[in-house]
Amino acid sequence: MSEYHGIHIEDIFNSMKARFRPEGAAGVNHTFGYDISEEGKWRLTVKDGDMSLEKADDLSSCDVVMETDGATFVGLNIGKVDAMSALTAGKLKIRGDVNTFGITSKIFQKYVPPGAETTQEQELIALKQTISVDQRFATGPVMGKFLQGLKNKTILAIKCPSCGRLQSPPREACAICRVRNDEWVEIGPKGEMRMMEYCYYASPDPLTGETRETPYGAIGILLDGCQGEEVFWHLLRPDQLDRVQMGIVMGDRVRHGTRLRPVWAKNRTGSVFDIQYFEIDE
Amino acid sequence: MQKTVDSADAYVIDGKLALPYSYFAGRVGSTFITALRDSRQILGVRCEKCHKVFVPPRQTCEKCMADLRENWVTVENTGEVINFTVVRYSDRHLPREAPYILAMIKLDGADTPMVHILDEVKSEDVKAGMRVEAVYSENTTSTILDIDHFKPVS
Repeated sequence: MSEYHGIHIEDIFNSMKARFRPEGAAGVNHTFGYDISEEGKWRLTVKDGDMSLEKADDLSSCDVVMETDGATFVGLNIGKVDAMSALTAGKLKIRGDVNTFGITSKIFQKYVPPGAETTQEQELIALKQTISVDQRFATGPVMGKFLQGLKNKTILAIKCPSCGRLQSPPREACAICRVRNDEWVEIGPKGEMRMMEYCYYASPDPLTGETRETPYGAIGILLDGCQGEEVFWHLLRPDQLDRVQMGIVMGDRVRHGTRLRPVWAKNRTGSVFDIQYFEIDE
Repeated sequence: MQKTVDSADAYVIDGKLALPYSYFAGRVGSTFITALRDSRQILGVRCEKCHKVFVPPRQTCEKCMADLRENWVTVENTGEVINFTVVRYSDRHLPREAPYILAMIKLDGADTPMVHILDEVKSEDVKAGMRVEAVYSENTTSTILDIDHFKPVS
């Protein structure tokens, strides 16, 4: 018997009975063959929550057979060799279903060489932390006025003096005409749905780090008083995601989307969530 | 230019961004940390071909891409300051209250510098080439801060 990584092959087989886990073998009914070159052949039978192991000359009756060399076999058992790498490198061959052999990792406790009982597998370090970063968001005069409007249950848009388009949330300048916006217009609060994005991944709120539940619907609403692409983005009531219809404009053909109304938060603080969400206006 | 905007409605929102995350040190990083924590040894890995010792350790050589995972060497807990900077602002994610010194320290036996806190010295007295030694922390956190800081060799 040769030693590999300081371990006799026989020790691994002889300890199988002691390492057997009946709870892991429940429902397993297989024979496994081990063909270790220059070392010998073993047949393992797992049946009815019990096991038996014998040396064998012929493994043709086994459901699956592992063919490998002593160093790879011992390496697999003590975790020095990765099964996938050994398979890829041709150092390990499985006759039959590879996944069946995978079951043995549940049936047996890991082999621990004598004297190394206390040395467990390497301790791996993972740091779980929540970093907390102070944030300040300055509204500026324009966004500030818009948010104050929400606090008073009004949705404000700012109008470009040159092209007349409305922007809400407002920006200080019209980026198309490159002029300062100066006129405030009240829009909505009702409108029609234009489009919706089903969101399955929610990024954290930049001010609180909280993540909202998914899936949620991010919707573009054409509020009353707006036209074209002057849509306002907000959330749809979570239980109405599948009840709304988008509006489509193609040339002069118009299909109106579902009418929506805002649901105002009870305690409004001057935040975009002073509107909780939009819901179907029915 | 005349100010035309009405800033009566402008205000500031204070927030607190909380980001949960999990950082896995990896096998090489874990060996480095556990050796530091359990035996107060600073480990590096050596590339035999490039004759280079990396501290902190890395899985592969940056030059020849050789696998360095098993090539562990122990380096000294003394070394020299390669360069340094003074952190002058405090934030909750930073390890110390400002001001404190962060130094690149090349340990004896290593060929690469590592960044750590330099303490027990005034920032105006720090010089590149200065000899320093590790001071281990009393309480372990299983992080690089099991070395609490470095101080000038007395």
